[in-house]
Amino acid sequence: MNSEVTIRTERLTKHYGQVHALVDLDLDVRAGEVFGFLGPNGAGKTTAIRTMLDEIRPTAGRISILGMDAHTQTVAIRHRIGYVPGDLAMYPNLTGHDTLTYFANLRGGVDWKHVGELADRLDADLTKKVGDLSSGNRQKVGLIQAFMNRPEVLIMDEPSSGLDPLVQREFQAMMREVASEGRTVFLSSHTLSEVQRVADRVGIIRHGRLIALESVSDLRSKAIRTIDLEFATPVPAQILKAVPGVREVSVEDHRAVLSFDGKMAALLKTVHEYDVVDITTREADLEEIFLAFYRDEAPAT
Amino acid sequence: MMLATVFAKTTRDRWKGVVVASISLALLLLMAMAVYRDIDLSIYTQLPQTFRTLLGIPEAADAASLGISVLYGLYGAMTLAGLAISMGATSIAGEERAGTIGLLLANPKSRTHILASKATSMVLLTGLGTAGLWLSAIVVPAILDVSISGLHIAAYAVHILMNALFYGFLAMAIGAWTGRRGLASGVSAGVMVLSYLAVGLFPLLRGWESAAKAFPWYYFDASKPILNGVDPGHLGVLIGGAVALATTAWIGVGRRDLQSPNTGVTLLDRLRTHPLTKKLIDRLAGSTRVSRIWIKTASEYQGMLIITAYLMFIVMGVLMGPLYSLMDTTLLRYVDQMPKALLAFVGAAGGDMTTAEGFYQVETFGLMAPIAVMVVAITIGANALAGEEARRTMGLLLANPIRRSTVVLEKAAAMALHAAIVGFATFSGVWVGSVLGGLGMRVGNIAAAAALATLLGLVFGGLALCLSGATGRMRFATFGAIGAAVSFHVATSMVALNDRLVGIARWSPFHYYLSSDPLNNGMNWRHAAVLTALAAVLVAFAATAFQRRDLRQTA
Repeated sequence: MNSEVTIRTERLTKHYGQVHALVDLDLDVRAGEVFGFLGPNGAGKTTAIRTMLDEIRPTAGRISILGMDAHTQTVAIRHRIGYVPGDLAMYPNLTGHDTLTYFANLRGGVDWKHVGELADRLDADLTKKVGDLSSGNRQKVGLIQAFMNRPEVLIMDEPSSGLDPLVQREFQAMMREVASEGRTVFLSSHTLSEVQRVADRVGIIRHGRLIALESVSDLRSKAIRTIDLEFATPVPAQILKAVPGVREVSVEDHRAVLSFDGKMAALLKTVHEYDVVDITTREADLEEIFLAFYRDEAPAT
Repeated sequence: MMLATVFAKTTRDRWKGVVVASISLALLLLMAMAVYRDIDLSIYTQLPQTFRTLLGIPEAADAASLGISVLYGLYGAMTLAGLAISMGATSIAGEERAGTIGLLLANPKSRTHILASKATSMVLLTGLGTAGLWLSAIVVPAILDVSISGLHIAAYAVHILMNALFYGFLAMAIGAWTGRRGLASGVSAGVMVLSYLAVGLFPLLRGWESAAKAFPWYYFDASKPILNGVDPGHLGVLIGGAVALATTAWIGVGRRDLQSPNTGVTLLDRLRTHPLTKKLIDRLAGSTRVSRIWIKTASEYQGMLIITAYLMFIVMGVLMGPLYSLMDTTLLRYVDQMPKALLAFVGAAGGDMTTAEGFYQVETFGLMAPIAVMVVAITIGANALAGEEARRTMGLLLANPIRRSTVVLEKAAAMALHAAIVGFATFSGVWVGSVLGGLGMRVGNIAAAAALATLLGLVFGGLALCLSGATGRMRFATFGAIGAAVSFHVATSMVALNDRLVGIARWSPFHYYLSSDPLNNGMNWRHAAVLTALAAVLVAFAATAFQRRDLRQTA
């Protein structure tokens, strides 16, 4: 990853009447990274992506991609990007190959050897009409069209939908390869395990506002971890509750389970006075972090 | 509550179109009757009795009878039949195409229950539209202080209703058996138009008069229900036909596999896989077809183009020449004596039916040629931008390094190409017909009329493109352009009857089509330039409007 910014949004705002789809969104996405863009349905992810593609225009703020204005220089930008829209739709009467030929023609040509390699990697059948393909196989054609011109920036909205686990894994490898070549992947996804696996940084959006922007590792390290402690003798729960950073404690006989986001040194200092038999720590995964951000949004049951 | 049943939802989805059509027809009736009220109608009473009966003109022709019979006999009946066809074709096949049939049938409702619900909705809404026509025919004369005594308006409305339902159930039956919405609506509309033409033409052919009885349109208006009341025999034919078609639909919908929104296997697909033809067809149907936006767009409408061009070349062109030679000249002379007002409605105010040029102007160029070009141009124009948005492919298309204006211009080029092909088919058909019939029409004049028809069609295609570009709404673009075309046509026809209003006609594109009588006088370049400029301006507006707005996101 380098420090060159490839996608920048500045106070990006989009209103639909009284609905505020995006509010003052500031983002910097850098070359050589896979950037995960997370949020629940209706948070504003697709609106942000459609604004980047100049499909819709911001109410306020601006976007630049590869140093160019997303509205006034949109054609020049599109020479250098690849795009997979959410809820991908293509021309049902064209075969996969015809579809790619069409988009290749509009781009002024592509390297067909590379297209063949992509099709092989994703196990895509390009001879059938798109309308006759399953949603997963249709998605593969959509992915190939996005990757086929070796774009400098890939913008993808839920690109894994419908893909089987094997193809998902291959697709994740392709994204990492793009990043390792110094290119950029902007990935909006609900598949949090995938984002955790491939993304360098994530932005989390809620009600159109960015509420977190960090590297995945920082996010995970700051997140609440679960710590299992096993003692030779029973330990009073209040001793553990007094440690800074302990959120929840559950003690059962010789075992204690803590939800903890404080400093390990403080915890170790407290428990070392007891006969600790075993310590196991589990780092929160992205899904838990995501849910923590949104827990207060969850509907009452 | 409006979503409580399939019937309720279907009715909710469709009622607006019916109401808009009824209001539009009421306004057109108001205009037509107002013009008829102000002109001398004595010419009608001088027509032979046979013709007055044939045209539905009472002995004392008045504004009410003329307005209602002329406007409802063509526009009213076709509009309601068109709405019924649209509802019938989408009843089951539309749900299949949209991919919603599976979800619908996941509920504890049978296929026949859904079909019956849709059919009930179609009957109700067509009835509502007919009631609107009936009400207008009562209210408009009252507003204008025109008497409607002696007219059987309710009987006429019943004939209009059953005529519309006949075609609606025809579309429903085809859709139910095939699951193909386009086929259902295309065939039904084709049968309707051919019936209308046949019922107009066969009475002019000595010895073939009774052949008109083979066509359903005959049973709608041949008995002149506005003058004579309900004809039980004719109405019985329409009701019996509708019931038979409804039964056919009921049987068909339960017998076949439901279609997914997937594509069918076309002849091209088969040729593409055959070893002998694979290479050539692969190139034509594959790589060549997707080489440019305009070529791809043009290729998507091949089917419609072939049918329309064939109809104009063979039926409205080639066959008309020999047919004219066989015509009963006495009848033609009578037709020529028909009031200008009636001829104006079929776009033939200046057509002298005793000459080949006049005959072709009335039969081919009056309505059919502009309609044929408009069908193609408006369909492409409305679908060009709004269609890609509705199918959610516009985002992907515009992710490529192309300007929005390029998309608009290439789509407009495909529209112009198809319009020109229909125009050329019309020209070549009429020319061949003229040669076969020994009519001696001038090639240049035929070309001029066909070119003006093409340009006129492009004006309304351009309007559809403009509405499509400005709103992204396909139905709005389609019906907006059709509505404008009908309104301009009726307005142009009516104002031509009143010398005080003639100047207003210059504001209508139709004025620049046949007012110069191109079949006799050749090309009027000024008129051609006006139509070309209008079409170009509308395309430019389309590009500007599309450039400025957000793309629609449809679910």
